[in-house]
Formats: sequence, structure tokens, C-alpha cells
Amino acid sequence: MCKDYVFIFLIALVFSTVNVTAQVTQNGWKEERQVYQKVFDAKLDIDEQRSATILQLAQTKPLIIAMVFTRCTGVCSPFLLQFKENLQMIEKKNFNVVVISFDTRDSLKDMAMLAQIFDLKTNPQWTFAVTDAIDSLSSSIGFDPVWDEKRQQFEHDAIAVGVNTEGIITKKLIGMRNSKDLELLIKSIEGAFSPSYRLPGKSNLFSCFNYNPQTGRNMPGLGLLFIAIPAVVTFLLVVVINLLTKNYRA
Amino acid sequence: METVKIKKITALWIVVVLLLFVVSIILGILMRLNQGEIIHHSPVTFYGNMTTHGLTMIGIWFVAGMAGVNYLMQRYVTVSLWPNMTGLIFTAIGVILLWVSTFIGDFHAGWTFLYPLPFKVMWASWATPMFLCSLTVMGVGWLIWSLGMVMQLLKRYSISQVFAWQHFGKNPKVETPPFVLISMITLVGVIASLLAAVVLLILYFMEFFSNSSFVNDALLMKNLTYFFGHTIANEMLYLGLAVLYELFSEVSGRPKWKTTWYIAVSWNLSLVFILTAFFHHLYMDFVQPEGLQIVGQLASYLASLPAAGVTVFSVIIAVYRTKIKWSLTNLLFFIGVAGWVVGGLGALIDATISNNFVLHNTLWVPAHFHTYNVMGNVLFSLAFFHWFAMQFANNNITERFAKTKLGLLILGGAGFLAVFYLGGAESIPRRYSNYPAEFPSAQVLAYVGAIFATVYLIAILFFFLNISKRCVKIMFSSSS
Amino acid sequence: MQTSILILFLILTGLALLVFVYVFMTSKGAKSSGGGIRNALKKRLWFILILFVLLGFTAWVTISKSPYYLFADEAPSQVIHVASMQFAFVLSNNSIDPDSPKGVSSIELPKNELIEFRVTSLDVNHGFAIYDASNRLIAQTQAMPGYVNRLRWKFTEPGIYHILCLEYCGMAHHGMRASITIK
Ligand code: HEM
Ligand SMILES: [Cu+2]
Repeated sequence: MCKDYVFIFLIALVFSTVNVTAQVTQNGWKEERQVYQKVFDAKLDIDEQRSATILQLAQTKPLIIAMVFTRCTGVCSPFLLQFKENLQMIEKKNFNVVVISFDTRDSLKDMAMLAQIFDLKTNPQWTFAVTDAIDSLSSSIGFDPVWDEKRQQFEHDAIAVGVNTEGIITKKLIGMRNSKDLELLIKSIEGAFSPSYRLPGKSNLFSCFNYNPQTGRNMPGLGLLFIAIPAVVTFLLVVVINLLTKNYRA
Repeated sequence: METVKIKKITALWIVVVLLLFVVSIILGILMRLNQGEIIHHSPVTFYGNMTTHGLTMIGIWFVAGMAGVNYLMQRYVTVSLWPNMTGLIFTAIGVILLWVSTFIGDFHAGWTFLYPLPFKVMWASWATPMFLCSLTVMGVGWLIWSLGMVMQLLKRYSISQVFAWQHFGKNPKVETPPFVLISMITLVGVIASLLAAVVLLILYFMEFFSNSSFVNDALLMKNLTYFFGHTIANEMLYLGLAVLYELFSEVSGRPKWKTTWYIAVSWNLSLVFILTAFFHHLYMDFVQPEGLQIVGQLASYLASLPAAGVTVFSVIIAVYRTKIKWSLTNLLFFIGVAGWVVGGLGALIDATISNNFVLHNTLWVPAHFHTYNVMGNVLFSLAFFHWFAMQFANNNITERFAKTKLGLLILGGAGFLAVFYLGGAESIPRRYSNYPAEFPSAQVLAYVGAIFATVYLIAILFFFLNISKRCVKIMFSSSS
Repeated sequence: MQTSILILFLILTGLALLVFVYVFMTSKGAKSSGGGIRNALKKRLWFILILFVLLGFTAWVTISKSPYYLFADEAPSQVIHVASMQFAFVLSNNSIDPDSPKGVSSIELPKNELIEFRVTSLDVNHGFAIYDASNRLIAQTQAMPGYVNRLRWKFTEPGIYHILCLEYCGMAHHGMRASITIK
């Protein structure tokens, strides 16, 4: 009797909870897709003379692919900037970065300009490229920009995709992420195993139109400082009590 | 005047603790019977009972330790009534709120109320805030009580004296009694754990009142939960040990224990280990930074060194080939130490990450923590209760039925615990109201556990009647 | 594994209890003057030292066997995404969308291949525990909302493996399950 009642209740619960607040927004899950699948081997135009496919590039060193478009008024440039800064802090540099435009209006010139702006033109680690096969590439990495006619802008995520030397996607990062996450990405393309990672929560997701540098940064590890609070406060309390009771001790 | 009042409030604490203990044991037996399919509660009832049992047990044995330490502290410092009284009032309110939220509101998130479970309301919607309030009330009351006691100690001893730092060197000028040292170390740990609860509860209330626009981080919340939960459960045992250090030699008719350099060093070190051992609750959260996992294992290991090398060793050599006045009090202490050691062995095994991989959240966990509670800490406190009650009775009362009582206690306790360990080795999960068909032995084990627990309960009832009769007399006596 | 753990525990417990009983007996038989122990401090320090070495050795041997390092230097042949929720597991080869979790509660996996489980939760904390065909717990990790735990495992025996929830998650916690068939 009782059990049936509970059972029905449970079924109802299962259905209701699925819709209730998932703490991880959509994007956290997008990161999980396509991992360990092969990236589409698009042919990239690098400059007037040079072109190469992604696999060819990856063969020499693993890649991090970043997707941008030069007319972006939103996340692209802060994303690239932060990405560049974070990379500077990382010591091991046995990989290359390929920045690919997903906007068919972008020419090689536009991309060269972008590289210039970020002072990356002569940096051998960085390659800026356009491709004719952008749709296949985008879908192989699970990237789906949406054109907004009114604003004349793409609505899209900031995305970085790690590709190992075999052309396999090992990890994706969506949104503006800190250097720690980037390190995980680099570890993954180098084939190292890290037993876990954090999904980006509500507060640290960026798309072109809600970029907020103040609240934006995801700082894992900061929370762990909270764990020290009780010990620190206890210490302070003992010190305070010690001062308060000073006069009683002869 | 104050001493009389403290005597009375201690007597009151003892009666309350024993009464709540009996009720909680009955809840425990009901759980075991339900797992054995002898009775059939709905899962909601079972998990509600589990929540009540867990938190009430932790609460009463914590306050029992506190009351004992507070009483004995009078031997060294001036003790005022108000911290103790605050503890009593807040505990009473807290327990009532807790029981209303679980028994009437059906709150059943477990005593560890792991975030975000309390917010996935499967009970009366007021039960979550009421449960959180119950914890807040108890937490605040205990915090005031502990801070009050620290204040009393520091009125008499300086910081370095109260931690016995002068004993690190040769020929210290002042001696810090072991009891004072251990009380202080333990109270500091208690305060830290309660402050962890405060931080935890603040984060809970922030999310509660923000209507979920503020969302907490599950990993942080879990760390805080076990900082609080593990540490307080651990420290309450050390409160019991403080009482043991004070009374064991005294009732044995032996010279009082003195603080030596190794006692001072080891207790100071334990403080560090105890505050970092809780990381072992997160071994299976691979998201926890690896460094903390290893700290967890090392701290858990290291915490056993001062315990075994100093406290247990001291008890052993105090008894070894030494003529002792054995009484119920020091027998309880002695058996309690043995129980504590056995539980500690179970804990060490589980605190090894590679073992935890196959033991975590199986019955091995309740097995070991029940060992050092049911056969350890409870006996320490019972020893104090008994000593306290006897002290004010006319001295020539013989300890009737002592052997029977102890026999039942050991038999019941050992049997009850043994089936838990067997269950753990059989990979049977903990916190299951009913066992799935994969575990055919689980029901039998649960049933056997219930029977032995009943034997244990009978022994406790003996103690309860005997001790509380005297305590009630003390409470209502007009003179000192 | 569990059997050896139990045996180890029983031996240690037996030894400890023997010591306590023996010490108690010596006290019962002691003469009034009392013998006690000689050179107690020296013996105590030796005892602590031995214990320290023993524990240190155990830590040294066991820490490298921690699950975080399991199969760390191999590449998995398959990834299984696991979303846990009150009170079910959803398993899938593809990543799982929290808004419409699609997947199954029982899957088939190959023998002797490295599988990586990516375990997370859509609501509260859960446990993801793998029980072998004889219902012994062989591996587990927690499912925590907002995080992904990766558990790597190689199944060597064919049979039906059950997944049970090992973190209390509410009133049907004990009914939360899934299964893996190893061919
Ligand atoms: C003979 C007396 C006792 C009996 C029969 C008993 C029985 C039980 C049972 C059946 C459970 C649930 C186990 C499971 O997870 O399946 C449990 C859990 C627990 N018990 Fe006891 N117990 C006793 C004494 C104690 C004592 C002295 C303490 C002191 C601290 C204690 C603290 C707890 C705690 C903290 C839990 C965990 C609750 C949770 O999982 O939320 N118990 N007990
Ligand atoms: Cu679950």
C-alpha cells in the first residue's frame, strides 16, 4: 500500500526534478560533446601562399583551436586577449594555437589585422586562418553561432578546442575561462589524465552579449579558501579572549 | 552557590542525555528491524528516523562530554553557570526543533544534510528552514558554551600555559594539568567545527532567501559539511578522553597523571591532524584537489599516533602489572579505550584511499564510527555519569550487577558492530532503508544486529535507571 | 579486496583485544606493591617510532594505488557519460543534455577495453558505484552537481554489473540503479 504510494510519488518527482534548476547551464554540457571524436580535417588558408589542413598542423604539435570573427563587438576580443594572457603564464608550450574565423566575410587580410592588433603576428605559436569548410568544421566541434540580423552580429560562445596529434578532440572550453582550466585543456591534448573537472556554472558563462568582466571570472580554488575561515576565526577568537581575560591572570 | 548549581545542572544533563539515548537507540533498532524486513516502515519514515537518530546521537554525546568537562573543570578554574545554562537551553530548543522537523515535517536529508539535498524538498516545505534553524540554535548555543569555557580557562592560565608549551622545554616552572591541556585543545577544535557550521549555514540561508538566484558550490558545501560533521564527531571523543585523563588514575587509587613533554607535544599536534582529517570524507570526489586527498590520508594516519602512542599507551602502562582498585567507573574507561582502539583500526583501514574506493558508504562506515561511539565514547561518558552519581550517594553502596551490566553491554555492542563490519565486507551500502535482492545476507545481518542492539539497550536501561535515580535526587536535594 | 580487508581488520582487532585482556589480567594478579612497567618512556618512544614507520610505509605503498591514478596513462577506447538524478542513472555514449536527458539505464560494453565514465549529477549528490557479477563493489566515484568525475575502468570478466547509488540522495536512494552488461 504504502510502497505504491511512494512509488507514484517518486515517478512524479523524477519528472518534476528534471525540469527544476539544473545548476549547470546548457553550456556546461556542450563542453562534453564531441570529446574523443575526430575533428573535421578542414583545409585552412593561413596566408596568401600557405595553406594546410588541421590534421597536418596537428601532426607536428597538438592544437588549441579558437573560433572568432573579426567584426565581433562582443566576446571575441576580450576572449582572445585573456586567452593570450593566460597562455603567457603557462610554462609548457608544446602546442600551437590556431585562431579560425567562422564568418565567411572575413578575409585573410582581416585575420592578419586581428593578429596585428593582438601583437601575435610574428608569434610562431599562433596561426590565424580562414577556411572554406567552416560549416563542417563547426559542427565537428559542436560550435553553433547564430546570425542576428538586427544587430548584424553572431550570437556565439567563446570556445577553445583541444586537438591532439591524432586529430582527436580531447577537451573543450566554452566561455571565458581562467588559466587553471586552460592548463587542464593543455594537459588533455598532451594525453595526461586529470580525474575530474568543473563544469562552468551560471556565473561564469559568456556569450557575446552578456560579457561582464567584473563578475565574470571563474576562480576555482577561491572557494577552498572558505574552508580556512573557521580555523582562522577560531585563532582570532582565542586571541581576543586572551586579551579580554588578561586582567584576571595575576 | 555556583558549585551547587553546576552539580545540579550536570545531574540534569545526565538524565536528559540518557533519556534521549534510550529513545535514539530505539530508533536505531527500528532501522535495523526495517532493514531486516521484520517491520515495514515507509522509506520516508526510515530516513526520517535515520536523520533524527544521527543528529540526536551526535548532539547528546557531544553535550555529555561538554557537561563532564565543565563539571571537572571546577577543580582548576572558577566556573560560572551561564555558559553551561546557555548550552542547556539552546540544546533543548534545538532538539525540539529537530524532532518537529523530522517527526512532523518528515524532513529526512540525513544528519549530514548534504547540499543541495535539503533544498530538493520531499517533505513539508517548512521542515527545511526548521531543520536549519535547529542546527543554528544548537550551534550557537554550543559555541557560546565552548567560548565561555575557553574564557574560564584563560582567566587562570596564559595561552602558552593552557597549551602546555612550557612543557616542550626542560624543567617547566608551572605545570599544566593534563585535563586543562586536553580540554583547551578539544575546545579549540570544537569551536572551529562549529564555526564551519556557521559558515555552512550562512551559505544555506543565503541561497534560501535569495530564491535560488544565488547558488552555492556543491564542493565547497561538502567540504564545510564535513569540516563541521567529522570534526565535531571526533572532538566529542576527545572530550571523553579529557575526563578519562582526570579520573582514571584517581578512581584506580593511583597517583595522578602529570603532563610530560610528550603529552604536551602529542596533544598540540593532534589539534592540527584533527582539523585536517575531515578531507577523508571526500576521497571519492575526484574533483577535490589531489593534494587535499593526500593530506586527508596522512592526517588521518598521523592523528592515530598521539592517540595510540600517548593516551592508549598511558592507560596500558597504568594498568599493566599494577594493583588497581577496579570499579565500574574505571572498567568502563578501560573497555572504552579498547573499543576506541578497535574503531580506530576500522577507521584507519577506511582512511586509506585505495581501500576507501571499495568501502566508502558501505556499512563499513557505520561499523567503525559506531565502534568508537557505542563501545568507546559512550562508555567514557557512562563512566563519568556513574562516578558522578556514586560520588554523592552514600559510599557504601556496592556496585550491584556490575558484571551483568558490563557483560550485556559488551555482548550487545560487539554483536551489533560485528554484523556492520560483515555487511561492509559484503559491500552492502549504508543508508538503505531496504536492501535490494543482490544482497541476500543483508536482511539477516540487519535482523541479528537488531537483536544484539536490544541486548545493548537492556544494559543501557540498567545504567539509566541506576544513574538517573541518583541524579534526580541530586537535582532536588536542597543542600549541597 | 574486501575479504583481505576484513581479515586484516580481524587480525589487528584480535591482537589489540588480546593486549587489553592480558594487561587487565596482569593487573588482577598484581601484588599490592605493584610491579608496573620499567623504562616506560623508552618503550613508549619505540612504540611510537615503530607505528610511525609502519604507517608511513603503508601510506607510501597505498597512495599510489589511489583511484585518481587508475589507467591514467592509457587512452580510453570509449567514453560513457553518466548523468545521475533523483532517482535514476542516465548512461549514454553522447554527452547528456540536462534539459532533456537522453540515455539508457543499461548498456553493453566490451571486455578488456578501457572505459571512461564521466559522471555528474543533475540535482543532488549521488554515488556511482559499480558492483561486479557477484555483487562486490569494485569501483566508485561521486556524482556531484556542477562537476564531472572521470572514472576509468577495464572490465575483465563478462557478466552483468550493477550500478548502485552510494550517496544518500533522498527517499528512493536505495532504488536508484542501472546496469552494464559485459560481453
Ligand atoms: C545500540 C545503539 C545504536 C543503534 C542500534 C544504532 C543504529 C543505527 C543504524 C541502523 C543506523 C543506520 C545505518 C545505515 O546507514 O544503514 C545508524 C546510523 C547512525 N548512527 Fe547509530 N546506532 C546506535 C548508536 C549510536 C551512537 C552511540 C551514536 C553516537 C554518535 C550513533 C550515531 C549514528 C550516526 C551519526 C548515524 C548516521 C546517520 C546518517 O547516516 O545520517 N549511533 N545507527
Ligand atoms: Cu542517488
